[in-house]
Amino acid sequence: MSIMEYNGGSVIAMVGKECVAIACDLRLGNQALGISSKFEKIFPVTDKLYVGLPGLATDVTTLKELFRYRVNMYTIKEEREIEPDTFAHLVSSTLYERRFGPYFIEPVMAGISTTPGGKVKPFIAATDLIGCLNFAKDFVVAGTASSKLFGVAEGLWEPDLEPEDLFETISQTMLNAVDRDAYSGWGTMVYVITKDKVIQRTLKGRMD
Amino acid sequence: MSDTVTLAGPQQRQFNPYSDNGGTILAVAGANFSVIAGDTRQSEGYNIQTRYAPKVFRLTDKAVLAVNGFAADGNMFVKKVKQRLEWYRHAHSKDMPLRSIARLIQSMLYGRRFFPYYVYNILGGIEEDGSGAVYSFDPVGSYERETCRAAGAAQSLVQPFLDNQIYFKNQVAAPGTSHPSHLPLSDVLALVIDSFTSATERHIEVGDGLEIFIVLARGAPIHGLEAIQGIQEMTSNAEGERVFIVRRVLKYD
Amino acid sequence: METSFAITGKGYTIVASDTTAARSIVKMKVDEDRIKVLSSHLLMACSGEPGDTIQFSEFVERNIRLFQIRNNYSLKPSAAAAWIRRSLAQSLRSRKPYSVNLLLGGYDTTSHRPHLYWVDYLGTMTEVPFAAHGYGSYFVLSLLDKYHDPEAPLEEGLAVLKRCMDEVAKRLIVNPSAYKIKIVDKDGVREIEL
Repeated sequence: MSIMEYNGGSVIAMVGKECVAIACDLRLGNQALGISSKFEKIFPVTDKLYVGLPGLATDVTTLKELFRYRVNMYTIKEEREIEPDTFAHLVSSTLYERRFGPYFIEPVMAGISTTPGGKVKPFIAATDLIGCLNFAKDFVVAGTASSKLFGVAEGLWEPDLEPEDLFETISQTMLNAVDRDAYSGWGTMVYVITKDKVIQRTLKGRMD
Repeated sequence: MSDTVTLAGPQQRQFNPYSDNGGTILAVAGANFSVIAGDTRQSEGYNIQTRYAPKVFRLTDKAVLAVNGFAADGNMFVKKVKQRLEWYRHAHSKDMPLRSIARLIQSMLYGRRFFPYYVYNILGGIEEDGSGAVYSFDPVGSYERETCRAAGAAQSLVQPFLDNQIYFKNQVAAPGTSHPSHLPLSDVLALVIDSFTSATERHIEVGDGLEIFIVLARGAPIHGLEAIQGIQEMTSNAEGERVFIVRRVLKYD
Repeated sequence: METSFAITGKGYTIVASDTTAARSIVKMKVDEDRIKVLSSHLLMACSGEPGDTIQFSEFVERNIRLFQIRNNYSLKPSAAAAWIRRSLAQSLRSRKPYSVNLLLGGYDTTSHRPHLYWVDYLGTMTEVPFAAHGYGSYFVLSLLDKYHDPEAPLEEGLAVLKRCMDEVAKRLIVNPSAYKIKIVDKDGVREIEL
């Protein structure tokens, strides 16, 4: 029995053209037994940055609260919103604080930042459970369906997708990957973040 | 003294007769053709033993077998299947039908139920009714006829992609239309190549080379096939089913 | 192991828990009340390690009461649940964690909605329409998938609860002899017999 697979669940994030997308499944289980089909694993950090927290469910809630606290403190002290790359390092150092007794979570982040010149920069990143950062240019995955997500995403993803095409790509990737994973599924939630809005959709999936 | 025997406890010896040699295989059935493919890397742990070890074998003009798992068992198993098919040819003056080869493979695998051949088999070819077929097996002989199947190291990467692109899972057809039950050969070849390049990108045990076998039903058109560069025909009997092979390079890293 | 389950319906949450306290093969007690009334509109069913359940539930009870005394209002079910969850999550990474699984049933007097939270000893928490802990959950959850209706009036809710108890009695080898059943709705908490 692996702690990382005790509750199940998966998250993926993808880069598009001046947009990013992040998706999670909605299952919460105790090994093979399903408990809830409404357990969200993606949380807003700012209105242009989201974090997904797949792994041990107790740590999903604990880290959600811890990141909320630390981001609020940052916002108050700095009198500005946190940038995606800064948040990634906050996540990394928060996890590394518990290097020898870790939180069993592999966070995935997706957001966009605007440069002083007004250019939109998409941002995605992921870390392992002790905070080793991975800044990918295409997509990042985590959770019990990660190998399946890698396979499908590698086949479907292409550079510079428009928001609606990116939505379709991440949705198809997620749905088909979790259908081959017993520990993930029971519904999917997708966020597409563009410079002027966030599209949030809940997808129906197989309930088995 | 080195020859002092330590009498700490009972001595134990163990020999593990199995190993995992990585790699991935894949097969897709069309209406009147079948495509069977596999990469050519053979590895043990982080060590690449060879960059060219075929995993896909032509059995007859209408049957191709892909074997993945423990390479030594795989090679021995293919050898024994070929031997049984030769005996059949001598006894009946014809090639064994595909469905019969599938059942033969089941018996041969189950015959070793308590010391199995540690291999996953995928058999592709043409049935007697001229339809393309894929049979997939587990190491002890459970088998099923399917439209497509991936097996081996990158099964978990490739199979959900195939569910989506071949079975159109999670896709809704436009109103008044329906998804095709079989794809044309050109689409299948493109998907097979995409699957292996994707698997090569993300799995360390997949790469080096790709061998794609194409089996065409008797009288099926070969449109487009001759245009593929490096394609070779392996057919032994001119007026029956036809077998072609396409070799592609995959990344070495 | 003890079985407890709970369902929500139209304006109410029902929490049921079996009343047997067993050690090894011996039934020590058959009238144990595992459902703590935490405040006027909040119930908590505890199961798990015998000493821990009592220690933890009394700790929670007193802290909820302390909040009430200090602030002159009681926590909403969502807030109480979040605090209880955090207590368990902090306990998990301590030298001696509590092994207590909880079902929190409450009625939010501000939004007039019933709530039910499933919480385990790790601090895993999720809001659910129905929930169960213990071996009984393997029978009850599938039953509730079919028969639960979040808009059902109380009588129908109790009928579904009866089905659950009957199923556990029929299929579980160590079937519980009796259940304590408590309801929380707009009028507060009350205990019933079925």
